Amino acid sequence: MITEETETFSDTVEEEAPVEACTKCTACNTVCPVARSTDIFRGPKFLGPESERYRSHQETAVTAGLDLCSGCKLCEVTCPSQVTIQEYIRRAQNKGAEEGGRTLREWVLGHTRLLSTFGSMTAPLANFGNRNPLVRMLMEKVVGIHRKRPLPRYQWLTFERWMKRHPRPRQTRRTVAYFYGCWVNYNERRLGEQVVAILERNGIDVIVPKQKCCGIPAVVNSNMDLARKYGSENVRRLSELPADMDIIASSTSCGLMLKHDYAHLLEINGAEKVGARVYDICEYLWMLHEAGELDVDFQPVPMRLLYHAPCHLKSHGIGYPATRLLRLIPGVHLEEVDEGCCGISGTFGMKVEKYDLSMKIGSRLFEAVKAAGSDSVLADCETCRMQVEHGAGSRSAHPIDIVARAYGHG
Amino acid sequence: MPDTTTGVVVIGGGSTGAGVLRDLSMRGIDAVLVEKGDLASGTTGRSHGLLHSGGRYCVNDLAAAIECVEEGRILRRIAKTTVEDTGGYFVSVSEEDLAWEPRFVEGCAKAGITCERIPVEEARRREPALSRHVRTVFWIPEDGHLDPFYLVVGNVESARRRGAQVRTYTEVTGFLKNDNRVSGVVTRDIFTGEETTIGCQAVINATGAWAGFVARLLDVEVKVVPVKGVMVVLSHRVAHATINRCHKPGDGDIIVPALSVAILGTTSAKVPHPEVLPIEWDEVHHMIEEGALMADGVSTARAMRAYAGVRPLYDLGAEAEGREMSRNFAVIDHEARDGIAGFASIVGGKVTTYRLMAERVTDLVARRLGVRTPCTTAEVALNDREDEMDQLRHRPAQLGVPKPHGDELGLQALICECELVRPQDVAPWFKDPAVRTLEDIRRRTRSGMGPCQSAICSYRLAGRLVTERGLDGPTATRAMADFLETRWRGVRHVFWGSQLRQAQVTTGVHLELFNLDRQLMHDLPPSLAGEGRGGGFETAEVASQR
Amino acid sequence: MKADIAVVGSGLAALVATRTLHQAGRNAVLIWPGLSSLYFTYATIDVLGYSDLTTTRPVEQPEAGVAQLIADHPDHPYALAGLEGLRSGTTLLIEWLRAAGFAWQGDLGRNLLLPTAIGTPKPSCLVPDSMAAGDLRRDDPIVFCGFHGYEDFVPELAASNLSRSWGRGEHSVRAVRITLPSFEPGNLFTSIDLARSFEDTTFRREVASRIRREIGVDGVRVGIPAVLGLTHDTDVYSSFAAEVGHPVFEIPTLPPSVLGLRLFDRLRKHIQESGVEMIWAAPAHEAEVSDGQCRRIFLKSAGREQPIEARAYVLALEDTVDGALRAGVHSMVDPFFHEALAHHEMPTERTDESLFKPQPYASIGYRVTRRLQPSDDAGRPLAGNVFVAGGAIAGYDPVGTKSRGGLAIATGYRAAQEAMAA
Repeated sequence: MITEETETFSDTVEEEAPVEACTKCTACNTVCPVARSTDIFRGPKFLGPESERYRSHQETAVTAGLDLCSGCKLCEVTCPSQVTIQEYIRRAQNKGAEEGGRTLREWVLGHTRLLSTFGSMTAPLANFGNRNPLVRMLMEKVVGIHRKRPLPRYQWLTFERWMKRHPRPRQTRRTVAYFYGCWVNYNERRLGEQVVAILERNGIDVIVPKQKCCGIPAVVNSNMDLARKYGSENVRRLSELPADMDIIASSTSCGLMLKHDYAHLLEINGAEKVGARVYDICEYLWMLHEAGELDVDFQPVPMRLLYHAPCHLKSHGIGYPATRLLRLIPGVHLEEVDEGCCGISGTFGMKVEKYDLSMKIGSRLFEAVKAAGSDSVLADCETCRMQVEHGAGSRSAHPIDIVARAYGHG
Repeated sequence: MPDTTTGVVVIGGGSTGAGVLRDLSMRGIDAVLVEKGDLASGTTGRSHGLLHSGGRYCVNDLAAAIECVEEGRILRRIAKTTVEDTGGYFVSVSEEDLAWEPRFVEGCAKAGITCERIPVEEARRREPALSRHVRTVFWIPEDGHLDPFYLVVGNVESARRRGAQVRTYTEVTGFLKNDNRVSGVVTRDIFTGEETTIGCQAVINATGAWAGFVARLLDVEVKVVPVKGVMVVLSHRVAHATINRCHKPGDGDIIVPALSVAILGTTSAKVPHPEVLPIEWDEVHHMIEEGALMADGVSTARAMRAYAGVRPLYDLGAEAEGREMSRNFAVIDHEARDGIAGFASIVGGKVTTYRLMAERVTDLVARRLGVRTPCTTAEVALNDREDEMDQLRHRPAQLGVPKPHGDELGLQALICECELVRPQDVAPWFKDPAVRTLEDIRRRTRSGMGPCQSAICSYRLAGRLVTERGLDGPTATRAMADFLETRWRGVRHVFWGSQLRQAQVTTGVHLELFNLDRQLMHDLPPSLAGEGRGGGFETAEVASQR
Repeated sequence: MKADIAVVGSGLAALVATRTLHQAGRNAVLIWPGLSSLYFTYATIDVLGYSDLTTTRPVEQPEAGVAQLIADHPDHPYALAGLEGLRSGTTLLIEWLRAAGFAWQGDLGRNLLLPTAIGTPKPSCLVPDSMAAGDLRRDDPIVFCGFHGYEDFVPELAASNLSRSWGRGEHSVRAVRITLPSFEPGNLFTSIDLARSFEDTTFRREVASRIRREIGVDGVRVGIPAVLGLTHDTDVYSSFAAEVGHPVFEIPTLPPSVLGLRLFDRLRKHIQESGVEMIWAAPAHEAEVSDGQCRRIFLKSAGREQPIEARAYVLALEDTVDGALRAGVHSMVDPFFHEALAHHEMPTERTDESLFKPQPYASIGYRVTRRLQPSDDAGRPLAGNVFVAGGAIAGYDPVGTKSRGGLAIATGYRAAQEAMAA
């Protein structure tokens, strides 16, 4: 009896590289920012593909040191065999939490949206608390968030509410949906405003479908069920949009969840179709440019800028569209710094026992930033910007901020 | 005068010989085991490691099935750490299979095998790997995996603790006789060629498929039919429990999850000599195709290597061929049958029933020696200390646990990262004179048995040959090359996809980075493994049959 | 996305091609599918170690050796790249290494003979300064120094082998081991951990003084595993050598390879900071060909296939190991044109019975025209604007002749030239 499987086998050409593809070349361990910064981490090769051979639905998934994986995905980016190393680590982490129970901190950091809603409602108070040493000491003791880690400032007016008051432009060529994410909504509304302004300037109407947290804080805090809940809700809502409507994200990590992780890590139905329509904002603007649709009537922005590519941007597999875009702007003096991971990896660097490691990982970047002495460090990811500001004491911005300035929306 | 003397010489270091050695030692009989290769390098180490519940034999070979039931239960008691109590499924995927079911159920009942029909959906919930072709499922809780290497080593170590001796890579080339009584053996060291005589009161021929060759040295005949079986190793377990086709035993109808891998078995073909075991592509291909019918993930898993073993089927004179021959065993009392005193052979059987086989032949020999101590191998655990036997069972979770803050270091070094082998797991074996090649280390520790097939650990082990065994560089380098070469012989048969890509990493390390190919062209000592001697049992006779 | 020239690959061939294009002022994009699986073989860059597969006599002058090879085998990839390709590519690479802050030495006129981790002399052409003191063409005695508990370099093995083969055993070779501060034997420590520790001055000084004490005598050179710094190798090496007080040389270890990492990390970083765009994590496949020209290739980006539209393409992937070829059970196919490059009834046909002999599978790859374009059976280009470089070219196996690096340089350079002319 010949079956489909055996037909596949008779000349297997694997399209998706499964865990089997690991050839033990150990390239992942050489680039892993955690392995390069501490002796107590066995590295992605061991925790990913090697341990995976010993995991099954009947067997315990926990491997010592899983929690030290920061989730930067540089191992996957570097793997010549395209093994989804970090996804295996994540799943094992999650299974460990399912079996052993989650900590209060995992609950708190996984529910950033809930937290942010509360933080934003009580913005002045929350911001005061987040900067109060006594509160922070308590937070460190009870929740396990390092007292030195600056926490994001909340804003009282959320982007969502701002958008409701924002008048829709009259004449537009097309409409896109904007997945603004928790950061823009609760912490940096201005970035959202700039995204909207830039798109509208180019004749594009922006709508904001109702949305949940993208789920990445839950994924990295060992709660894939919660992430799947958020993700399914987002996929459902985004699927209701007209099929040809593009979806824009301005955070690299949210964008990566929508594009890839919903379908592959979380295995959400229908996510693949949604993911195929998601674009990073800079990726989208560059596409417009290549199609001759981008307004390049930029004002000069005479600034010395340093670009740091976030790890998760590398995982998008789109190169660095921000740098291409910025080079169109007169006056911009752009340099790139390639010092690897900044070390924060979302909520990783907030944890009391990871803070020092996180700063150590970022130290090469901090030195380079200090040496460059630029006006601002650009990064497409919000936590990278937080880390660079904290570690190198420099100013930072999303590349969109510069584009907005060039359009006179500074 | 022989060079040394003992009570009984046991020829053959497979599960039977090891079992006999232990049994003898437990009855207080002095014994020496001689094996021309390494322990478990013949049939035992090349089995698929299925601990038979008896389900596989219950229709055609009821007597063998009943033995399996009893012995399986004993092994679960005495050899806990070598048994993985996985349970097993018997699945039907075709009309013929469904037609076989009533006979299977009846056979299980007759043999006393616990057998439970479970709905397919329920089975899939328990074992997601069951393929969509599966139509009906029986759950046989007493199927399992028996680690053949550790079983043999466990028996031998138990006997050694009681004073027994082991000589590996020691071939019996002749017998010492007084009239019609065997009084010792002449042995030759495979590597050094050194001849030694061992005087004794009795010799037990436990050489399985080789029993006829040993008997021939005394001009008596033992008819053993060597039947080849080919197996394919997949890089992970695929399923949690063993899976058998519910049909008349045939080719490629068993999947055994064995520690970190899955073994697909097997084929059945008579061969002219137990060491002529060519692996044909058709066999490998067929095995994967058939395995894929039973379990998902078989065709997309990474096949790591293929290997062939030989069943020692004892010809009881029936017309039967291959699989239809009984898997039962026989004790041959050569004194009664051939008039040669002090010599007995134990033939046929299978790994699962090794203990019973050992008991029967030891009973005979003990009786002849006038020893009345009864057999206790069914009662006394193989390992006097449980923890000592645990080394094959590392799971990643058991390796050093670093504290979350990283202030307490505890990460254990690994020699073989694929199979989680630590330095302390390999270290004692370098001091054991019975260990003479890196393959021997592998059999005792699993080092080199993972996806990279020793590309990394071979160097670390070669290093230890110098530092711990005191060998010189060229000898250690030759041992490393032999180890790689032996692994390569298995890898070649599944040379596509990941295993092909893996080979480029192996040659990248050893040939490009280390320049090993040039080192081998210089005056290194001749290969220890020699042509095809991965298990250490190549002879001129084999070469002549090729 | 549009680009002038797209280079696909992760190894030395891709880097040399990209640098060549960038130096010529062309707008290149580097599509980087991950670090090469064979990154660890680039501890040194070997141009031609042996003239054929059976000789044990190392090539003394690689340039002359390659010239002879070209004369003897006019279809060899070295012949297609031309001696000029090798020369120019090497010059470009050496200048680049210098510009990137690397201390390497290279001269096509001579091979160094360096001891490997098993103590076998190996001919290498371009080497980091930190390895050069191991040159066995010099006579001074060698002490191999290992670390207790570190299994990826065994000094006793290397010393024992080398003492027999080097100059017929006339030279002095011995092995010592020291205990490293803060690394307990029995605990896990990798080359990466050690390399990071060696960047610490206190650690380095302590190790140097322990080595000095252990060695005792003067007039020897010290070979240690290649762990002298993860990123700041030049400073680490020179200050460490000064502290040891003997000439010191690094020996490449089992993977993870610090030397390979340093090379690729530095060159990638340098080329990126010099403004060449890199696309990470997006393996390329599928060439869209019309009218004999490749119009687009596709990248497996997150969420969707991303087209890359370029005037010309350089495919610089290494064999099957980095995905240039897909090895199915019976056929080996390339992912861009889906050409069946080889068919085997049985997988065993791809190999020799011995691991240590030339392997038939290693020579499988793209058939190419004299301009390095991939071609069909009849020698017609599959696309006029696609050029192949590195290990994926059919008809040679760099393993036995130790020529992977030189071929990567020569073909990478030449393919870039052709791409610019296309």
